[in-house]
Amino acid sequence: MSSTKRLLTPLVQSDTYLVFVFLFAAVPLGAAVLGLLIGGWVATGVLLVTPLVVPAVVTFRVGTGLLAAGDAALARHLLGTDVRPRLASGGKGWWGRGKAVATDTAFWLQQTYLVIRMTVGFALAVGMASLAGASLFFLTYPAWYRWSELHIRSWHFDTFGHSWVLVPAGAIGVVATAWIARALGVVSRWLVTGLLAERTPSLPRLTTRDLRLRALRIHAAVSGGVSLILVAIWALAGHGYFWPEWPLMPLLLLVLGTHAWVEVVEDVPQLRRHRALLIHIGLVVQFSVFYVLIWALTSRGYFWPVWPILAALITVGLHGAGASIWRATQLRRRVGVLETTRAGAVDEQEANLRRIERDLHDGAQARLVALGMNLGLAEQKLASDPEAAQQLVAEARAGLVEALGELRDLARGIHPPVLTDRGLPAALASLADRSAIPVTVDVDLPERPPAAVETAAYFVAAESLANAAKHAGPATVTIAIRRHGNLLDVRITDDGRGGANPGGSGLTGLRRRVEALDGRLEVTSPAGGPTTIHAELPCES
Amino acid sequence: MRVVIAEDLALLRDGMRRLLEDNGFEVVDAVGDADALVHAVRREQPQVAIVDIRLPPGFRDEGLRAALELRRTAPGTAVLVVSQYVEHAYASELLAEAGGGGVGYLLKDRVVDVDDFVDAVRRVGEGGTALDPEVVSQLLGRRGASPVDQLTPREREVLELMAEGRSNAAIATALVLTVGAVEKHIASIFQKLRLAPSDTDHRRVLAVLAYLQDSESA
Repeated sequence: MSSTKRLLTPLVQSDTYLVFVFLFAAVPLGAAVLGLLIGGWVATGVLLVTPLVVPAVVTFRVGTGLLAAGDAALARHLLGTDVRPRLASGGKGWWGRGKAVATDTAFWLQQTYLVIRMTVGFALAVGMASLAGASLFFLTYPAWYRWSELHIRSWHFDTFGHSWVLVPAGAIGVVATAWIARALGVVSRWLVTGLLAERTPSLPRLTTRDLRLRALRIHAAVSGGVSLILVAIWALAGHGYFWPEWPLMPLLLLVLGTHAWVEVVEDVPQLRRHRALLIHIGLVVQFSVFYVLIWALTSRGYFWPVWPILAALITVGLHGAGASIWRATQLRRRVGVLETTRAGAVDEQEANLRRIERDLHDGAQARLVALGMNLGLAEQKLASDPEAAQQLVAEARAGLVEALGELRDLARGIHPPVLTDRGLPAALASLADRSAIPVTVDVDLPERPPAAVETAAYFVAAESLANAAKHAGPATVTIAIRRHGNLLDVRITDDGRGGANPGGSGLTGLRRRVEALDGRLEVTSPAGGPTTIHAELPCES
Repeated sequence: MRVVIAEDLALLRDGMRRLLEDNGFEVVDAVGDADALVHAVRREQPQVAIVDIRLPPGFRDEGLRAALELRRTAPGTAVLVVSQYVEHAYASELLAEAGGGGVGYLLKDRVVDVDDFVDAVRRVGEGGTALDPEVVSQLLGRRGASPVDQLTPREREVLELMAEGRSNAAIATALVLTVGAVEKHIASIFQKLRLAPSDTDHRRVLAVLAYLQDSESA
């Protein structure tokens, strides 16, 4: 019984009907998308060589964003997804805006999504409507048979008795429709999330070794499968000459040879830079050996393999030239990045030193001067007015305690001693202890990261926490630190009101600090919150 | 009371020696690093060793490690750890090693209040505890909802002073209360925190500290 019940559940769940609504929404949406795409692309194409192309693409971008956001809002209400697509691409200045649109992955993904909704979604809406209509028609056929001339081949359902034959088919159709709707709901949800959600780079990353093993498995499976199919065809075709040897030989040679090459190249560190080229050369050598073998085993007349070998060698030459140009470009780009991040790091260092100097000057130093004055006065009054002298000494002592406290805070701000002594978990726990907001610290590290990385991670957490306390007014803050491959992943989330400015001085300082270590800092802070500061720091140089 | 001092900065080492000698302590040795401290304690068997956390050669937590080692190998010597900064993690490590008391952890700043500091050294030497108010506030501040919230403000003040390691008489003086009133507050605190009553001041302090440590890790 329970399995029957389970079979019928989609019929009584409102989700199923909401999916229908979502599917049918593709019809009006499709019309709007068609208009937008035609208008957008035609305008872009026509205005391409004029400066007017920029407002055209920006408008196109916003239109796409609006339609995507509208459909996402529908999906939020009907499918329960939580996706809010971006409407604009940002960028500064006239050309900057246009460029930002062209390079905005979100824009292209939104278009892809809308095109899918317009085509596949439209077809599904029509299909589902027909299926549901037909099923309901069959299910209630005994009520209509008089006015219907339905027949399947020579079967006519024109009597009341016969008309009942179709009812089970209708019932099956209705249940099937509900289940298909459910499945389409899952697919739609997946589509909405996959194409419209803001992308955060996915972690963890695979090591090259994982990728190599995966490639070997795929290659082995494909070549094994192809070999089996060829041998099967040969067997079915009545044996005879074993022709599959010709395709199989290069196939196996290529697969095994390539992987052997990759292993050899991978294990020689000096050769790693030229790995792709070396693999290419390896393949060419294998090809050449293969052709020469064929030549040797067959006629041995005219040495025809010279031509394919020559062609292959030319591709190697092109590859080599391309690779060296590419490497030069990469190096230039890398130098550019290093120059920028180094300048950032130097500026940040400079700003920090200035801040420390100012704090010392206005804080502890000033207090010590006042204290010295009090002691000097006390010395003067020691003989004449011992009571006043005692009062002054007591004041001096109180001032001293405050100066010490300030110096301690300053020292902790430069580098907390507990971080060196006990590592991130203890340092962050101490940070949490001192915070007025409840902080959850969740650090799970197999080993201590390098000192510079540890310090940067600590300051990302400390600064984010201070920012949250100052601006966001959160109820709780979570600091999570994990190791993914050779990346240290630092994530600080608060449930405050959001709207953090990534260009503010605090976050800029953090970004410079992180970038100086070749890391990345990402700030997600929609108005209304929550705010997430996410840093990735490489742990090996 | 016989004291050994381990402090790498000569200025502070000499100052501390003078301060303690002026207050009736006998400073039997003053050393500059952790190894020398362990030797001095083995040789002199003082009642208290005053140890700076940061000592050569690494200038990290050599002093704390030496103090923990001394608690294990020389239980007759109490250790008072002093530092420019206090970390709750270090306090936990010390208290875990404390067993029957005889440990202290104070900010170096506290020497400014000479009477208070001298009292703390004496208390630790007699097998009591001395915990810096900053550590206590960290211990009390970090928990979520707990029975500590049910205490009255006055009881909380008493609890803080107790956690610092002070005797009932000292608490009474600090809060301008009678000793009887303090004892009443303490009985109420123990009841609210569901702690078994203990007879001596030191035992009560340890019970309170154990409670705060436990509920913090829970």
